[in-house]
Amino acid sequence: MEEYDLTFSFNPSSDTGAFKLMALPPELCKLIESTGDGECLSLNIKGQSEEDAVLCTLDKTYTIRSVVLSNSVLVVTPPAVGAAADRQNGEDVVVIRDQLNEILELVPSVPRLHRLNGLLRGREYDEGHEDEDEDEEDVSSDAENARPRKRQKFSYEDARETLQASDIELHEGLRARRVLVLDGELRPIAPSHLNTILELLLNYLVSLSLPHDAADIKELASALEDDHDIKKSVSTQVMGWFGQVSDGKWKMDVDDVVKGVGVGILRTYKDEPIAQDDFLGKWRKTVGDTFEARVSLNLLSGNYLSNPSYLTEPPTHMLTYFPSSSLPVDPATRFTDLFLTRARWKAEEISPFLADIVVNSKERDKLLLKYARAITDTEGIWYTARAKYNG
Amino acid sequence: MLIPIHVESHDSSSKRSLPPQLAQFGADEIVLIELQGALEVEGDSRGQFVGKLRVDATTVSPMSFQKSASLLIGHHLLEGKLVNLPKPLAVLHRSATGRPNNQDAPTDDMLIDDDIHGPRKADPPSWAVMAIVKRKMVFSNRPMPMVGKIANRYSGCKTREDVGSIVICNYIVCRRRASLRFMLTFF
Repeated sequence: MEEYDLTFSFNPSSDTGAFKLMALPPELCKLIESTGDGECLSLNIKGQSEEDAVLCTLDKTYTIRSVVLSNSVLVVTPPAVGAAADRQNGEDVVVIRDQLNEILELVPSVPRLHRLNGLLRGREYDEGHEDEDEDEEDVSSDAENARPRKRQKFSYEDARETLQASDIELHEGLRARRVLVLDGELRPIAPSHLNTILELLLNYLVSLSLPHDAADIKELASALEDDHDIKKSVSTQVMGWFGQVSDGKWKMDVDDVVKGVGVGILRTYKDEPIAQDDFLGKWRKTVGDTFEARVSLNLLSGNYLSNPSYLTEPPTHMLTYFPSSSLPVDPATRFTDLFLTRARWKAEEISPFLADIVVNSKERDKLLLKYARAITDTEGIWYTARAKYNG
Repeated sequence: MLIPIHVESHDSSSKRSLPPQLAQFGADEIVLIELQGALEVEGDSRGQFVGKLRVDATTVSPMSFQKSASLLIGHHLLEGKLVNLPKPLAVLHRSATGRPNNQDAPTDDMLIDDDIHGPRKADPPSWAVMAIVKRKMVFSNRPMPMVGKIANRYSGCKTREDVGSIVICNYIVCRRRASLRFMLTFF
């Protein structure tokens, strides 16, 4: 039988509150345990002081929840080297370093990049912004104007620090939002400008007869710069978004480019719908002969609404631009918005508009259960709003 | 704000380890002891003796979880057992180095920097994963009062004054209350 003396900390001021218990999901536990000697694992707690804390690994984001225990948990360790000498009765001494009443739990969550939209508002990079550097020099000579201008800069590092997302998710998020990094500053590209660049890229691939799976980046970028004043730093980043860049070659992701062009065309039909066939015709014409076959409405899921119009015979489908990225982030308000747009939705119609606020399909179904009512008829399952009387 | 959590590789050479008998109840350098209620102490708790912790070696067998422990606090005896945690717990420890480094560097740059950014920047806490614990020692029952000979046997040579001021209080049966929002300022 072994016996130990249990004592309180010899240094209560520095120990109390210095310990926290965090329940680890299995994948995170494995990750920490597999960290070998000399390796450095990057775990960060991120956010503003008024936000819920999140923990970010390199590629995942977890929301931290606090579980309060009515039991208390004592953190017991061997005494510190110096303090042990205080007790010289030869017995083993163990020390209660802290007394805890909560455990932190980690819940996987989607990266909270939605704040980006607000943070990047008014920083769009558009045609005609190419000469900006010179403007800035002019302004900085005037000391009073220089300061506010400087503060406006929002850099990649700022984003890393303020946004609750892991590095990889942030990188992906910036790519998905088509945000340029110019001199370390984040500038979302204007949609129309992006479309111009994409169309130009497609044209030049053909006119310079470059293969689309291994196009020379330098050649393309200088052609765009010489003929259209599009900076190389911009065009190469755009190529990076729409394909893979390696060894100075660009392997174009055909579907992505075709989709980008499609969204660009569709964007103008926000209020006035366009007939599906007219739209597809326009789209095919813009992407050109080579990629015409890749045009498919599936590419645009989550970006449009399709409504049958019975004015013509046979009835045609009319498309309206309806991007899920413009919908509210909070599930309750998003469902309200969706059901205001349409009274009832088919499951396959509504799911693209929920994809960006859920981690997986299980969570999506949970949201549908909570915020929508399922009705089954001959055409299948429809989702409608759960309560209509809540004002 | 960015609060880093360091994960040190597991070389226990620099750390002091617990005796192996005790380490079986947790990890090499740390054991979690769960009690109903809380330990409260009157006056200064610095280095205050709490009680005797006994690990019963006779029932230890690697194949079963019969490992037991007892804790004698004053005249109260608690019976404890080994419990495997449903999810491994990382024990985070606030790095002692994070804070003084910033304050003890009285260079001009530092001071100006602090002035501009206010207290938020002056105090960036940094946490480290001390250990990953997969077991805990749980004392789940109410303490048994010990009297007469047994009390003497358990409490050994400790005098009454030594232990009299520590009280285990607040017995509540329910284990979990609620999952709450955890704000960043709590770190």
